[in-house]
Amino acid sequence: MRFWNRFRLRARTAGRLERELVDEIRLHREMIEEEFIRDGMSRTEAARAAAQQFGNSSSAADLSRDEWTFPRLDAVAKDVRFALRLMLRHPLLTGAAVLTVAFGVGANTAILSILETVLLNPLGMRHTDRVMAAQVHVDRLHMKGAAGSAADLRDIRGLSDVFSAAAGVEGGVWTYQAGGEAVRLIGRAVTPEFFRVFDASPALGRFFNADDRESVVLSYGMWQSQFGGDASALGRTITLDDKPYRIVGVAPAGFHYPADAQAFVPLAISPQRYAEGHGNNMNLTLLARLRTGVTPLAAIVRVHRFSTAQQAADTAEGRDMAKFGYGLDLLPFADFLSGDLRSPLWLLWAAALVVLLTGCANVAGLLLTRSSARRKEIAIRLSLGATRWQIVRQLLLESTLLGVAGGLAGLAMAKLAVSLVTRVSVPGKQLLALVGLDHRMLLYGLGLAMASGLLFGLVPAVQMLRESQTSEMARNRRRWFQDLFITAEVGGAFVLLVITGLLLRSLWMVEQIQPGFDVHNVTTAYFTKPHNDPAFASRLETALQNAPGVEAAALAYPVPFSQGGLTSGFGIRNRQQQPGEPEFHGEAYFVTPEYFRTMRIPLVAGRNLAAGDTAEAPLVCLIDRKLADRFFPSQNPIGQEISMYKGWARIVGVTAAVRADGLEEETRPVVYYSLPQIPFFAQSGVVLRSAVPAAALIRATVRRTNSTVPVYDLQTMEERMGEKLGIRRVLAALLAIFGVISLLLATIGIYGVIAQVVAERTQEIGVRMALGARPAQIQRQFMGQGLRAAGLGLALGAMVTLYVQKWISGMLYQVKAFDAGTIGISLAAVLTVLLLAVWWPARRASRISPQTALRYE
Amino acid sequence: MGMANPEFLKGTLDMLILRTLSRGPNHGYRIALHIRRLSLDAFRVGEGSLYPALQRLLINGWVQAEWALTDTNRKARVYRITPTGRRQLAEEVREFDFILAAIARVMEGA
Repeated sequence: MRFWNRFRLRARTAGRLERELVDEIRLHREMIEEEFIRDGMSRTEAARAAAQQFGNSSSAADLSRDEWTFPRLDAVAKDVRFALRLMLRHPLLTGAAVLTVAFGVGANTAILSILETVLLNPLGMRHTDRVMAAQVHVDRLHMKGAAGSAADLRDIRGLSDVFSAAAGVEGGVWTYQAGGEAVRLIGRAVTPEFFRVFDASPALGRFFNADDRESVVLSYGMWQSQFGGDASALGRTITLDDKPYRIVGVAPAGFHYPADAQAFVPLAISPQRYAEGHGNNMNLTLLARLRTGVTPLAAIVRVHRFSTAQQAADTAEGRDMAKFGYGLDLLPFADFLSGDLRSPLWLLWAAALVVLLTGCANVAGLLLTRSSARRKEIAIRLSLGATRWQIVRQLLLESTLLGVAGGLAGLAMAKLAVSLVTRVSVPGKQLLALVGLDHRMLLYGLGLAMASGLLFGLVPAVQMLRESQTSEMARNRRRWFQDLFITAEVGGAFVLLVITGLLLRSLWMVEQIQPGFDVHNVTTAYFTKPHNDPAFASRLETALQNAPGVEAAALAYPVPFSQGGLTSGFGIRNRQQQPGEPEFHGEAYFVTPEYFRTMRIPLVAGRNLAAGDTAEAPLVCLIDRKLADRFFPSQNPIGQEISMYKGWARIVGVTAAVRADGLEEETRPVVYYSLPQIPFFAQSGVVLRSAVPAAALIRATVRRTNSTVPVYDLQTMEERMGEKLGIRRVLAALLAIFGVISLLLATIGIYGVIAQVVAERTQEIGVRMALGARPAQIQRQFMGQGLRAAGLGLALGAMVTLYVQKWISGMLYQVKAFDAGTIGISLAAVLTVLLLAVWWPARRASRISPQTALRYE
Repeated sequence: MGMANPEFLKGTLDMLILRTLSRGPNHGYRIALHIRRLSLDAFRVGEGSLYPALQRLLINGWVQAEWALTDTNRKARVYRITPTGRRQLAEEVREFDFILAAIARVMEGA
């Protein structure tokens, strides 16, 4: 009641309330005066007497006002207004502080949202912490993180003491007829346990059971977009690759794995495939759910022991596995998903935190500087009766406001950054596309901003209070704070610079690698081969070659720098692998003869593939220089026969070596088959050399040749390579930005601190100069103070760098983690900037003329 | 201003004002005058206490205020007691009587 009435009273305009009160009190006063006049006083006497009796009329109004206002709230509002006025009066300082915080908070929030989506809570799916993935390693072939074969799935299923369910997942790409147009639909073929591994329940219908064959489970997104979320979709049939599939269920809305999958079909693994054994047909993603009570670590250990035991088994398969170093690795689902993104993201987050902390230290320094300028104001307020708490509150409020303003700007930055990130092209970009700023991230950002505000406000506030007590002690303590700032800032900047340097060098090393073919002006695409039009591929190739502006065009599967060649072991006719000889292993590409002219890969011996190398003709192949050198070092490879696909193929030519998978990956020897001779694949790629990007041309030509064929993944060769380098480029660029900013902040901060110290001690300098100190001595003294703290920072930074380097070595390429050059350059950069920052104010100190100095203040 | 104990006065002043207003609507000056006269100058209610008290009563909904012309033809803010104000007055009078009686008993018994 009371509270409500207060509000009602306030709701009437405060101004009117105020006026009424003043009127009322004035009237009262007049009436008292009249009374005195009636009693026989003169008008002036009456006024004086009334004033005496009445007392201070404004204090009466104040007291009355307190009844209907919220004194405490109003005081805070007043403080806020005061703080805002102050902020506006120093736009430069405010701007600097807000920008600093904004950048720190923005970078942090953006990177944390990525971390959240990619690492912490993969794909926003619930309960994935019980899901593990198994990957194959083959030590002998430097293969790690590979998909498994059916035998591996059987092994994982067999470990039922640690897993309650295990599933195999295979990629699926179908041509889907949506409203008369051929669309490429990406999905997965999954064994029936798949959804149980994720403990998911269908949004509609059911998931697969063991006898499902031509059934399909739609993703929630597909159900919404194609069927408008209509429950009657259940039981209907969709056509994938000309085969009918009955819709039996819909996956739940939050089910985002795999990020690009729109439909799931049952995967039935034939007994023969199980019987093929380990290492064959390795294209199953293996997922398993931990049994209740089993920790991830226990399961990892269990799988490791199992692999060791398998290799130790005295059977043909065991010996084979031991020879290749073939085994399984188990890892948590989140790690499996994030793969290569994991360490870079943590690194970026740490870097962003360093920037934020450096920024906070700087703003604290700024406020500290200003606090000495405000000493007078504070003293006056204290002597007028303000309590210490009121002053501290005021100061903290100011810094928190700065923090919040910075935070809001930072969130705007983060929003921008996140929308940029979702468009960056790096491997795993489907994951990044899901990154968004949700309310928790906004809270995190604002919380961070307020914490920063309190952090950098607390130091000056505490300082200020101390100062009012004992000035000299406080000054010493402040110096201690300042030294700490310098140390921390220099250390942070140094660490960031070293890491940035290492990554930039790695990037540079990688960019120097030549892929072995001319990547410029090449456009690439994939298409799905139509079942009912076997001549389509050759018609398309001819049409592309004859299209205007096309220099050369060919078909190839796979396209370089897309999914990697098909790796396989092979045999050499009349040769047994000798002990110590490299493994007979390589990767295959299936191409038409024009491929080499299109990619500008020179032929170094023998002949090219020819139009006559068709399905009916004897099987032939080309090998690259690397394969020739490795397996035929002392003989002419031409005329030899190798078997990799479909029996023995005669080597008819040798090409220059290429890196066609990833630039930094260990390159494998390459075998080129004639595409028409191996018609296994459901899709094929196009490579086309033209003066201008030809994506539209390829699309139009495919459509004109057969309108039911979907064409997809149109990219220039440079884009594909950029994607492989993407993570390195993005990481190096972001870290470079962070590093430069933190160095800049450190410089400004150190400059500010030293300049402040000089200003404070102007008188002392004057006295010393007057007593005969030389300018050089003075200068040395001030530089000494800055450099001592900075030196400590560098030492600490170097230690941190040593520690961190072990951690980032996985992100480096042909650069040692302890790279003397990089460390030297970083050190030089920090020292140069540092010397400038210290030298400038120190020189000013040495130029102070004793006379002005003594008159100072 | 008569009473020595401001806390005691604070509660009592509200009661005195309500009691004054229960005889009819009045403006601030006349309320103060009335209290002073009836208390034989014992309570000289200062403006520093009167107006805060009136605001308090307004907030509690025990009085209402409106601008009206006084008998000397001036615009003044006239306060009027509300029904809840009357109930509050009765309550306070009862409490006051109780306290007064208690004090009296203590004083007599000493």
